[in-house]
Amino acid sequence: MRYYETLYIVNPNLENEALDITMGEIGTQLEKTKSKLINHRVWGKKRLAYQIENQKYGSFILLQFEGGEQDQMNEFNTWMKLNNSILRHMTVALDDKPEVYEEKVKEEPVEKEAPKGASEETPESDLEDEVVVVETTSEETETQPDVTEEKSTEETETTKDVSDESSEEDTEEKEAE
Amino acid sequence: MAFQSRNKFCYFKENGITDIDYKDVRLLRRFVNDQGKIMPRRITGSSAKMHRKLVRAIKRSRSIALMPYVDLGSE
Repeated sequence: MRYYETLYIVNPNLENEALDITMGEIGTQLEKTKSKLINHRVWGKKRLAYQIENQKYGSFILLQFEGGEQDQMNEFNTWMKLNNSILRHMTVALDDKPEVYEEKVKEEPVEKEAPKGASEETPESDLEDEVVVVETTSEETETQPDVTEEKSTEETETTKDVSDESSEEDTEEKEAE
Repeated sequence: MAFQSRNKFCYFKENGITDIDYKDVRLLRRFVNDQGKIMPRRITGSSAKMHRKLVRAIKRSRSIALMPYVDLGSE
């Protein structure tokens, strides 16, 4: 069986409970097609690139499943179209079986940020220290301009070079992700 | 030389990306100009195979309002 992914946009005015109810409805509708639900999670409230039904924002919800019967899938598609709380939806065939997300979803937002920050910090820890030093020296220069001016200028030059390189690396890394 | 050719390279091959996800708007933004048009292959330097995948991903993300069809800037 093929695996599919449906991304749909729900009216952002729906509150948490109403959102859960609509998600439940969609889940039950999908189960009618004899397809197996793998993931059904809220991706988040995002700004739409263009207005849909006069809405500037929308709650994006991601639904991944193993495909069921095709005729009933078409019915599900029309049902989604007719549902008023759904602004738009799109189903895409996946190449591989999607990983089960359910448990991670709750933990990942916290965990993901932490290792990311750590991974960024570890290679740059020296650089960041230097940057901090520059800031402190600049503060010192305000208080004691005569003594530390030369030092601070030297340090800023060196750190600027390093920080430029690091920033480039950062962007590359982030984009790679 | 007044006109020196830049080194063109395929961004995806360089970074080992084989599949492009339409939900990865941050990546796709690189290959679109400020009007929201898809940049040609001769400028981005991406390989034909990856450019086809890129175009498909951008068009998908347009249809689900993650990326604009036409970007008129701040309205």
